[in-house]
Amino acid sequence: MTDAMKKITILVFTLLTITVNAMAEELNLSVAASLKEVIKELSTNYTKKHPGTVLLNNFGSSGTLAGQIENGIPADLFIAANTEWMDYLNDKKLVVGTSKKTFAYNSLVFAGTSSKKVSSIKDLPKLEKIAIGNPKSVPAGEYAITAMKKSGVLTKLTGKLVMAKDVRECLMYAELGEVDGAFIYKTDALLAQKAKLLFVVPQELYPRVIYQIALTAKAAKNNEAKTFFAYLQGNEAKSILTKFGFSLK
Amino acid sequence: MQLTSEDIASIWLSLKVAVTATALSLPIGFATAWLIVFKKFRLKVLLEVLINLPLTLPPVVIGYFLLLLLGKQGWLGKLLAELHIHLLFTWKAAVIASVVVGFPLLVRSIRLGMESIDQQMLEASQTLGASWFDSLLTIIVPLSMKGILAGASLMFARSLGEFGATIIAAGNIPGKTQTIPLAIYDYASSPSSTPMALSLCLISVIISVFVLLLHELLSKKIDRSNGL
Repeated sequence: MTDAMKKITILVFTLLTITVNAMAEELNLSVAASLKEVIKELSTNYTKKHPGTVLLNNFGSSGTLAGQIENGIPADLFIAANTEWMDYLNDKKLVVGTSKKTFAYNSLVFAGTSSKKVSSIKDLPKLEKIAIGNPKSVPAGEYAITAMKKSGVLTKLTGKLVMAKDVRECLMYAELGEVDGAFIYKTDALLAQKAKLLFVVPQELYPRVIYQIALTAKAAKNNEAKTFFAYLQGNEAKSILTKFGFSLK
Repeated sequence: MQLTSEDIASIWLSLKVAVTATALSLPIGFATAWLIVFKKFRLKVLLEVLINLPLTLPPVVIGYFLLLLLGKQGWLGKLLAELHIHLLFTWKAAVIASVVVGFPLLVRSIRLGMESIDQQMLEASQTLGASWFDSLLTIIVPLSMKGILAGASLMFARSLGEFGATIIAAGNIPGKTQTIPLAIYDYASSPSSTPMALSLCLISVIISVFVLLLHELLSKKIDRSNGL
């Protein structure tokens, strides 16, 4: 290796290993996929008022997010779409139990582009393919399975359920028309362009959709995180949640 | 080791898809390799690039292209829908995904096998009056058998491990399209499913070891029958 090449190699390796520390304060948020638009808008508004804070959003299914936090992903706030995944982290002392608050409520609907007459959950066996979030990690999928089980149609749907990695992938399948319909939240259905709302799942068939928010153990002493947390409980947050169709009680 | 009935279904499905993909690709792969090695024609380079393309493309890209092509909005998808053929989100889409990603591997191996055949033997057979078909059956096939076997094993193994293209083109439908990699991905996305994921991973390893051992054994057999 010539002298020049040696110098270039050393320079490249040095550059690769130096991590430049961000001057601004970074907050990592792990948020349930169905809250994407809400949190994006709230993040934009917040950083306008607090230019020293950089908000990094990680959207996904609540189960997957909980698993990531358990495995050490940097996260300061966690918003789950059910109480199960929040309790999961709370039991492992990975969230600050006393900071846990209810963030919003939602409801489950069935939407799709199917031309078949589907007006209730009992009509589902007529369809060929139905998308649901994978119940092992997606709250929307768990709610859907509970509803289908309670109404007695689940056993008739084996081989027809397409598993999506989060509720937004369900929406995507419904929009593309590759499935006859998908179980998504009312708020996701409001964003749909091609998929129509076919029926609302009766609330008695599944537990209430409750979003919970908490500080992670890592952020217990983080003042920036606490300030943003307080902002998310404030009136501006409430009005944006309402704008996108979420319920506050 | 914990295996649910869905896990067992995914194992059978994986094997079914891999066997079908390999069986479908062998004749076409053999013919393509034969064309590339023994025939001269213009734009051969283009054919070679096209065949090797899936090897360098990310599998999700291949899956996405299949989705666009065969979906309800795709031109081929619309055509097939007229004939009441629906490929996406069925095990057939999983086979197609495996065929596309595995084909370059198959062709490469067979090519290597064919290229190692002594040209003089083929020339000798021609001077003795053998037709191209006769030469194919009696000289090319036996002498490239190791390449064919290696290609088939590689393709089978690649098909067992296919994830990106499969999940996009065939979706994750337990019992219909959920192959082993998709089932493991399911478990991996859920924090409390580690023992289930590990059980399937173990099965995956066992199948792979079996395929590799079989390949080695058959390879040695061919060597012996070729007098090596």
